[in-house]
Parts: sequence; structure tokens; C-alpha cells
Amino acid sequence: MTDAAPTPGGYAAITGEIVDIALDYPDRRAWWACFGLALLLLLSFFVSVTVLFWYGVGVWGNNIPVAWGLAISNYIWFLGIGHAGTLISAMLLLLEQHWRNSLNRFAEAMTLFAVVCAGLYPLVHLGRPWLFYWIAPYPNTMTVWPQFKSPLTWDFFAVLTYLTVSILFWYIGIVPDVASARDRARKRRTQVFFGLAALGWRGSAHHWARWRQAYRLTAAIAVPLVVSVHSEVSLLFAAGPIPGWTSTVFPPYFVLGAAFSGFAVVSMIAIVLRHALGLQNLVTPRHLDLLAKLLLATGLMTAYGYWAEVFDTLYAGEHQEMGTLLDRLGGVYAWSYWGAVVANFVPLQLLWFRRVRVQPLLLFLISLSVTVGMWFERYMLLVTTLYRDYLVSSWREYHPSFWDWSLFAGMLGVFLTLFLLFVRFLPIISSFEVKEALFEEKGKKEQAHG
Amino acid sequence: MDMDREARTPPHIDRRSLLRAMAASLALASAAGRRARADERALPYVNAPEFVVPGKPKWYATAVGFSGCAQPVLGKTYVGRPVKLEGNADHPLTGGATDVFMQAALLGLYDPARSQAPQLLGQAATWAAFDAAVAGRRLTLEARQGEGLRLLTGAVSSPTLLRQISDLLRRWPKARWHVSEPLSDANRQQAAQTVFGRRLDQLLRLDEANVVVSLDDDFLGAGPRQAPYAHRWSKRRLAWQQGQGASQLHVAESSLTTTGSMADHRLTVSPSRIGLLVAAIAQELGVGPAPAAPLAPTERTWTKQVMEALRASHGSSVVTVGAAHAPDVHAVALLINERLGAHGNTLTFIDPITSVPAPDDENSVAALAGDMNAGRVSTLVMLEVNPAYATPAGLAFRQALEKVEFTLHAGLYVDETARLSHWHVPLQHDLESWTDACSVDGTVCLTQPLIRPFYDVRSLHAVLDRWAGDTRSDHDLVRATWRHAWGSDFDDRWRDSLVRGFVADSAPTPVLPTIANRNVSIKAPTAGALMIDIRPDPTIWDGRFANNAWLQETPKPISKVTWGNVVVVSPRLAAERRISRGDELRLEANGRSITGAAWIAPGQDDKTLTVTLGYGADRTGPLPHGLGYDAFALCNDAGSWVLDGARLGTTGKHLVVASTQLHQEMDGFDFVRRVDRADRPVKKHPEAASFYPERKWDSPSWGMSVDLDLCIGCNACMVACMAENNVPVVGKELVEQGRQMHWLRVDHYFEGDANEPSSSFQPVPCMHCEQAPCEMGCPVNATVHSHDGLNLQVYNRCVGTRTCASYCPYKVRRFNWFENTGDDPEQLRAMRNPDVTVRSRGVMEKCTYCVQRISAARIASQIAGHPIRDGDVVTACQQACPTQAIVFGDVTDRASAVSRRKASPRDYSLLEEANTRPRTTYLARVRADRRPS
Repeated sequence: MTDAAPTPGGYAAITGEIVDIALDYPDRRAWWACFGLALLLLLSFFVSVTVLFWYGVGVWGNNIPVAWGLAISNYIWFLGIGHAGTLISAMLLLLEQHWRNSLNRFAEAMTLFAVVCAGLYPLVHLGRPWLFYWIAPYPNTMTVWPQFKSPLTWDFFAVLTYLTVSILFWYIGIVPDVASARDRARKRRTQVFFGLAALGWRGSAHHWARWRQAYRLTAAIAVPLVVSVHSEVSLLFAAGPIPGWTSTVFPPYFVLGAAFSGFAVVSMIAIVLRHALGLQNLVTPRHLDLLAKLLLATGLMTAYGYWAEVFDTLYAGEHQEMGTLLDRLGGVYAWSYWGAVVANFVPLQLLWFRRVRVQPLLLFLISLSVTVGMWFERYMLLVTTLYRDYLVSSWREYHPSFWDWSLFAGMLGVFLTLFLLFVRFLPIISSFEVKEALFEEKGKKEQAHG
Repeated sequence: MDMDREARTPPHIDRRSLLRAMAASLALASAAGRRARADERALPYVNAPEFVVPGKPKWYATAVGFSGCAQPVLGKTYVGRPVKLEGNADHPLTGGATDVFMQAALLGLYDPARSQAPQLLGQAATWAAFDAAVAGRRLTLEARQGEGLRLLTGAVSSPTLLRQISDLLRRWPKARWHVSEPLSDANRQQAAQTVFGRRLDQLLRLDEANVVVSLDDDFLGAGPRQAPYAHRWSKRRLAWQQGQGASQLHVAESSLTTTGSMADHRLTVSPSRIGLLVAAIAQELGVGPAPAAPLAPTERTWTKQVMEALRASHGSSVVTVGAAHAPDVHAVALLINERLGAHGNTLTFIDPITSVPAPDDENSVAALAGDMNAGRVSTLVMLEVNPAYATPAGLAFRQALEKVEFTLHAGLYVDETARLSHWHVPLQHDLESWTDACSVDGTVCLTQPLIRPFYDVRSLHAVLDRWAGDTRSDHDLVRATWRHAWGSDFDDRWRDSLVRGFVADSAPTPVLPTIANRNVSIKAPTAGALMIDIRPDPTIWDGRFANNAWLQETPKPISKVTWGNVVVVSPRLAAERRISRGDELRLEANGRSITGAAWIAPGQDDKTLTVTLGYGADRTGPLPHGLGYDAFALCNDAGSWVLDGARLGTTGKHLVVASTQLHQEMDGFDFVRRVDRADRPVKKHPEAASFYPERKWDSPSWGMSVDLDLCIGCNACMVACMAENNVPVVGKELVEQGRQMHWLRVDHYFEGDANEPSSSFQPVPCMHCEQAPCEMGCPVNATVHSHDGLNLQVYNRCVGTRTCASYCPYKVRRFNWFENTGDDPEQLRAMRNPDVTVRSRGVMEKCTYCVQRISAARIASQIAGHPIRDGDVVTACQQACPTQAIVFGDVTDRASAVSRRKASPRDYSLLEEANTRPRTTYLARVRADRRPS
């Protein structure tokens, strides 16, 4: 079992390879090009939000009956993407799958930034966003609490908890590497920056013992959140008594779909970083193979969710539910249903072959297809349900407006900006964990030989 | 100015306290109200006027005009500001029934787009200059006995105005009065002239008619008679539901109308065939020769069923023909009705309350146009008419106007005519002036102002009085009319009539005319390939209400189109010509053409294109323009509304039509249910178990019942709701996007065959579900349940997550996507109901069951020390409904009207399967749907 290919220079070389990216970024021109694009998108975010706050939610394409639109479907999509990071870092940590060490840091960063994007959406989508804090239970002169039956109240808690735990987990995990960066930094500014961020980490045995406790404990908290957060999010739909939403299959369906889309994005990021920063020895074909297998597995589970949903409807045979199903298959928004089915599951089948799994370009394209497919799915679930609900008299199509799309582009900008800053200034792979795994590996081998 | 307008007391106050209130209103009159010119000194009351309590409304009985007829209303005012009009329940004709025009007149008063000062050649002028101009003009006219002076008005029933006009004509015998009223009963009056030898108005006694046969007569549809007719029809329908007599409605029409929707037996037929059907009925009854052409099989079947029904109900049936049809068809219908024993029973006659001359009459607008072109008109005074728009294109009135030396337009708006006239002077709205007029049964209604004019405007009477060389006020002129008529009784009767809103027992006794001429026959139809049927618009009539945003945003009853008109084509014709909804069509007839958006509707004759009047106006400034097409542009001459030999083409363009209901097929669902007989139970879904514990409801706990068998889809409830609840208007673009704000909507559904569909209406307010999904969804407790069973919306708590709207199975919730109210002009702010919160951007709103009225009733009952009685709370929609389809009250009181309704076997909940336990329930329609039998 080789998680990372042995590096000629030994452990120090691994540290150098990872930490030096942060201290002295290799390909600045490419980074600036990407960052420039990200800033443009970020500008789109600020312009879109300004327009939105100035004029009101009316600048979007929403209407009655489709009172929710792109904002909510994107919220679910972003949050879903985040889940893979937690699964890879926390779950695999607890399961002692060492190969995760090459992936967990940037996967966690991806989680964090995806949750930030996801969390922004419901806030800006409010009719009166300046009053968003009314959803929180806080002591107030109105003596009004949130309404605890509402899935939105729990959404608020879920996203906030998830964000907090994700930040903690990611930060705890990065502290030893930040300390390495501090020690290797030569410029005064970087020294101060990493010095403060390292929280006085000296690598003493005490530190390591405490660190290990804290890290594993946070991981233990984070893992159930993966299930609970997206189950909660699915209740946003499932709690509404609307044909197409009110289904008990939604919580597992959403969690699996979330992991599926997340693994796709992790694969894409892994492939890009590996290529851009020359990390082929740390993120090896074996990692790609494992990611692809996870993608295939969660994809098949998601496909089961699709099938179960259709089966449920057919089995119950309710007039309204059947109408929604048929409309999804053949109505105005059939493109989103079939788009989801095709993009999610058709290219995915190539992953049955190992040759495809370890081929970065193919894996990237398949992952991209899944990411797009899962976006279709979120959109389809929201729009096809609302635009034709019970009373035919209120049926009306929904078309996102320019400002819907510009905000989506802007939100991608938020994600990219944060992620590029992370890539540029922080250790993107957990060097000490890679080294630890390598050491243990070597020890095992020596034991085996001796 | 002494304003002895008379306040009206709420119905439950006795007559003695009424006298006190009257005294109070006299005191109020000089204090309240706004002045025409702003008084720069702001002074508080030194001595507050007695009985004026801010926040307590006062009611005044008055009337608003429509096509020369009075529509009796009660106006609710707060400290001198009218905020709501309601039907006058004491009026013998309407019994409190209202229609959209009556409800929307309030916005007409406050309309910021109203003309606010005189204009000379488009430039601002003063009344003094106008007076001088009139005085100068009078000198020339006086010398020539009025030669060259022409008056042009709409239909007039006002005794005062008639007196003024006849005085003027007596003084200047060479002057002449013309009447321009595009949509009138002229053809019916002319038929009476032929048959009886005198012009008479016909009034249907629908409350007495077991069988009504309508030949293209949309008597339940929009028009001056809608409210009384709907009221009468519903009385018969209610009695029939309780087992008395019958209520059968047979309709033959070319395009589905409100009346056709209520028909038990409907035939889709070309308008050219109506004459034949009338002739066929006449022949069957032995009062006329055989029809000029053979009937089609479907027509024969329909006629056969009609004949069976008519024969079985002698003396309690009536046949009515649409006003657009030729006088000879009406004449034969009169003979039929005589044979049916209808005259004096189900059809009564009175002397005409308004008179609109036939096109060939010397007083017609056509004759005027001819005289103008011939240079015989030197002075044209146009009072409250817009002939530059609302006359047939064939008259070329605009060009004719240029040939007149002096033209004056007096009206509420700077419209087409105003812009083409030398002088334009702004008039007072009915709600700010003194006048009088007759309701359609001839009862005289006195109109008293609810507010002092807030623009620099004059009343119609005052403007006309200048031409008589006098400067009397409208108040003096109206009083003079009645002082003369009543003599020494004047003071008492005046006061009594003002309080009532009408002159007691002033309706003329119906006459029973004898038939003088039986020799009438119907001309054979010309068999054209394609016909154009021009109709009044159901919400803006002939364009006179085009400036009223409430009416513009009120969906047309059948198509649910707002802010524009469409060309209705049948599904078969659309399929043949590959037309789809919204395609721009080009219609040609008489060598004239228009283009308009296609609208495909079941129940439309395959060879008929139905168009409506009122749109396509050439306006500028604040008035709505660029909407729809102008159907007047197709007309050659007045009175011919069915055009033969039409040509239809497409321009290839696609137009966006702002409809509030894009899907009207019921698709096999049971939203509107039917029962075969009124005592048969409606099919219900079994009630599912609820996750939450059942709640016990204290008394009172509110609920509503809507009888779909009575709902004619007239939208009066909807407009009343907008007025009562400060519901904002959003405009065409936002309606296109599905963002209309109506708290109450009236859904319209088709079922069955596309040629002979059954059609029904369903008003949908908030259901006030006992197990409301919206309440579960809201994270901030902005929508909660009250102790008295209301689903409340707390605007200032709402953060706008829109979860409630997403979860609402009925989609009755409305969201303020933008700031809809913050930039309202001052006038519209003054119009708002002070009891209802004005909502700002980003909050959800919806029907509250008029919670402000419930609160008012609760406060009143607590002061009086008794529980709220049944009938104390009347919601705005309930009050407005001309057919009493809506009943509201305490559902825990088993004796209440609403509980009795809900105990009916016809009672059902919309979407029982959603298990929301709605408090608004429906009574199923009683009628066979048009299943193949």
C-alpha cells in the first residue's frame, strides 16, 4: 500500500514540496490569470448583490408559483458539494484510511468555501435580507422565537453548525503545517502571518497528543453532520405538501447525491492541482482510482434514489404525483430531468474500467459531467415541482433572469477567489500526515522484511 | 359653499340616531374635505367638529355613472376621504349588488392621471379664460339662435342635465344635441318602436324566469345591467336550489361569455345564425314565418330542447337577444316573448331612461360627423365623451373635428378628443360632484359628493351652465331641478333621498304595451366565410375605463387576460391556420385592418373571430398606451358590430399576453365539482389522519363558503378586495411574470369538448387552512393561526423566505417582489383604507378574511356587550358579490348562515387530498356537465 510515492529527498523534501508552494508559489503567471478571472466573477457577485438589494428579489425570474428559484437550487447544490470534503477528511480519518492524507486538506477547503457560498444564497434570497437574524434564536425584545417546526429554522442551524465544525476541523488540521511554513519562511511578513496562524505550535509531544484528541473529536462530530445537514436540507422540499416534494426518500437521496457531486468536484480539484503544481508524486494514480471508485459507488446509490423515487410514485399511483412525474419526463423542463440522468449516470459507467479511472483527463471530464448533472437535478427537483403544483390555474413557467445567472457566476467567483487564495498562501496538502503515513508504511515494510 | 350632503348610518342604527347623524354631517360639511386650492395657512381645529372621530368611518349614499345610468353605491369615508364603495342594499333594483365598474370608480376619483386644469390648444389655461371664451362664443350664437352649435354627450338619464340641455335648445332652437354612446340598447328600443309603436326599455325579470333563453345576450356579463341582472338571476337560482320552480338557462353564442358559462345548455354558433334561431323559435310558436335558411343539426337539437323548456313554462320564461343584433331580430323576439306570456311577467317595459339615436337619426353621432364635414357646425361642445376614439373609423371623426371653428372637450382626462380640441376643461368625478341620474329601472339616484374636488375642476352641470350664460353651481342646479319637481315637499324629500341614495318609489311603473305591428321578419344571413364579432371589453368597456388601473389589471372573466385585448379564435381554426397563442394576427374587413394577439379558447365558433373594444388608444403621458388593438378601427358605421367577409392572416410576430391563468383545462381534476341535483351529495375524498392533534375551536371561529353554482365570474369581489385591502397594481410586465398581487382570484376552467365545453368559475381566496402548511414552513412565525381560526400574516415579522408560498397548495399567497407602494403618488395614498397595513417590499401578503372588519365587529360587539352576531362581519368580497355566492361567518355557530351552507350536501373542500382542512369551502355546481348523454 503506497499512498504517496517515495520522494528522493526524504521527509524534508515532502514538507518542502508542499510548504514551498505557499512560501514561494511556482507558477505565478498561471495563478494570476486564474485569480484575475475569479476577481471578475467576484465583481459580478458584488454587482448582482447590489442590484438585488437595491431593487428587491423581483430582479430575479421568480414568480408565484415558483417562489423559490435558482438561489435555492444552487444553495442545495453548493452545500452538497461540500459534503465530500467532510466525508474524505473526517470519515476516512476515523476509518484510518491513510490515502486520504493526500486529499483531505484541499477537500476540506473546498467544503469550507462551498458552505460559504451555500450559506450566502439563502441570505441574499430573502425578501428583507437585513432581517436575516430573525431566524436565529436570540434574546430579543419582541420575545419571539424562531418557529421550530420550520425546516428553514433547522437549515439555519444545520448550515451554521456545519460551517463552524468545518472551519474548526480544517484549522485544527492545518496548524502543524502552518508551523512548518512559519519555520521555513524567510520574509518577515510571512513569518508573522504563519507565526500568528500557528498558534504557538512547537511540535512537542504534548502538542501532538492534544492535537490528536482535538482532531479526532472534531472528526467524530463532523461525520454525522454530513448525514444530518443534507437530510435537513432535503426537508426544505420534503416537508412541503407539494406533489414531487413530499417524499420520504428525500433525505437519503439528498445525502447520497451530495456526496456524489462532492466527490466529483474533489476529483476535479485534485486533477487540476496535481497537474498545475506538479504533485504527481503526492496525488498518485492510486488516489484517482480510489476517488473514481467512490464516485462510481455514490453515483450508483444516487441512481438508486432516482429509481426509488419513480417507483414510489408509480406504486402509489396518486394522480397529482403521477402528473408531476410525467411532466418531469416529458414536460417543459424535461431537459433538466434527462440532463441530470444522462450527465450523472451515462459517462459514469466508464469508471467501471480501471484504465479510465486512472486517466486524469477522462476522470476530470466525467466529474465535470456529474457536477453539471447534479446541478440539473437540484434545478429539476425545485422547478418542476413548483411550476406545476396542485391547481392547474396557478401553473406558470420559471425562467431565471440575467441577474439570477450573474449571481450564480458571482457565487462561483466567491468560491474560486477563496480557493485560489488558499492554494496560493496555505499548505494545500497535509504534509505531516503524508509523512506520518509514509513512516508507518516503511515501518510495516521493515517489519515484514525483518 | 354649503354642502348639505347626507351621511348614511350603518344598517343597524335606527332612524332616530340617523337624524342626529344628519345634523352632524351638516356640521362636518364645512370643516372636512379638501379645498380646490391649497390654503397655505395650516391651523388646527379650534373647536373640533362634533361627531367627527378620526378612525371612525362615515357612510354616504351616492351613485356613480355608467353609460348614462346611475349605479347606486354607499361610500365609506374617513375624515372626508372616501376609501371604499359598496353596494346600496336598500336600492330596489340592485339590493346591494355591485360590479367591477362600481367598485373601481373609487380609483377613478383619485387617479393621478386625471386632467387637473383647463387647456387651450394643449397649453395650460385658466377657467377665467375659458369663461371669457364661452361668453364670446355665446354672443355669436345668441345672434344666430344657436345655429352651428352642437352638443355631443353620452347617453343621459340625469334629469338635471336633460333639463339644462332642453333649456338650452329652447333658447337656441337652431342648436342641436347629438348622442354618442357606442354600446347601447338602441336596437332594442328601435324594435319596440317597430312592434309597439313607441320606444321602450326592456327589463328582464330573471328572478321570475324559470327558463331563460339567451341568443347571444351576455346579460350576466359586464354592462350597466350586470349587477341587477346577476342579482335577480341569483334569486331565482337560490330558490331553485331550495326546490322552488326551475332555473334553466339556454344560451346560443359565438364566443364563450359569463352567461354561457352558467348555461345548462349551450350552443356554439356563428353570430349570423342568431337571427335564424330566433326565427325558428318564432315559427315553432306560430308567431313568424319559417327561417330564411335551414338549421344545422346541432342548431335543430338545441332549438328542440329550447322549445320543450319554453312550452313547459308558459308565463315564466323569457327569450332575450344580444344588444348588438339587428332591430328586426329583437322585434321577432318581442313577439316570441308575448306568445310566451313573458310581457309583464318575466319581461317588463318602461319608458326609456336614456335614449341613443339610431345611426340614421339626425341626432346621431354619424349625422354630426356629416354636418361637421359639410361645414354646418361652428361650435362643438363635447361633454364627457371621447368621439375621436370611441366612434367607428368610418365616420372619420378626427378629420371632421378639424373643420369645426370652436371645439370644446369637457372630460376627466386629456384623451384623444381633448388633444384634438381647441379647449379642454377638466370635469369633476361623480364622487366629488352633485348630480342625479336614473338606475336602469328608472329609479332616480341623487349623487352627493364624498369629497371636495382636489383638482381645479368643474362639474358637468356647471360647464353647461356657462353656455346658458349662468354661473350656478352643480349643487344649485340639481336642487333647482328637484325643487321644481317636488314643490313644498322639497326639503324633506331632498334630505330623505340623500340619505337613501335614491328617490323613494321613483321607478316608473312598468307599461304593458300592446302590439301594433306583427309584420316583422328577419333578413336572411349573409353567409360569409369568416366573421368578426366586436364586443365591449369586460373590464374597460368601450375604453372609457382604460385609465383605471384596477380594471386594467382585473383579468377578463374568460380569458384571464389583463392590460390588453386579444383576438379569440377557436381551437379548430387555430389548428387549421397553424396559429398559436400570442401570434400576431391581421384582421381585415370593410377594407380596414387591425393586428392583435391570438387567443385560442374552447367554446368559440370556428368561423368567428371575437374582438373587444377599448384598447389600442392613441394616448400619451400618464395614460396607459400601447396596449392591444383598437377595434373601432374596423367599424364602418355605428351599430354594426358583426362584420362579414373578414380575412385573417398572421404577421409572423409573437406578442406577449399578460394572462393571470395560462392553463384553463381542468385536466380531469375535480377542482370544480358538480352534482346532478341540489340535494345530492358531492363526491368527496375521505379525510386523512393528521399528524398534529385536533384543535378545539372557540366561538367565533371564521369560515367562508362559496357557492360555485352562483358564481358568474364577474370579478366584483376581486376589485372590491383590491379597494378594501390596499392591494397594489403591478402593471402589464409584472403580470406577464406572474407577479400580480390579487388576494382573491377567480379561476376559470374548461372541461370536455373544445367546441361545446363546460366552463366554470372558482373564486380562490386564502383557504385559512386549519392545518396550514404555510404556518409550518415559516421560520420566523410570520404566519400563524389566530384564536378565531384565521391564518394570519404578520407583515412586520415577515423576512420574505417565501416558504409559505412554496408550500401553499392553493398558491394564494402574493409576494412584494419590488417596492409596490412606497412611490405611490399622494392621491393614491389618500385613497388607502386606513384600517389595513400597506405592505412594503420583500414581504408576503394574502387574503385575511378582511380581519379589519372582524376586529371592527368585535370592538362594536364588546362595547354593546353582546357576542358578534351572524352577519355583523361582511367581507369585502361577500358584500360586492351580486349573486350572494360568498357567505362568511362563524363556523362554530351551527345556526349561522355559513354553517348552514357548509351543512349542504354540496359542500366540499378544494384539494382534500392535501389534508389542509380549509375553512373556505365550496358548494358544488348543480348541473349536468356536458357529458355526451
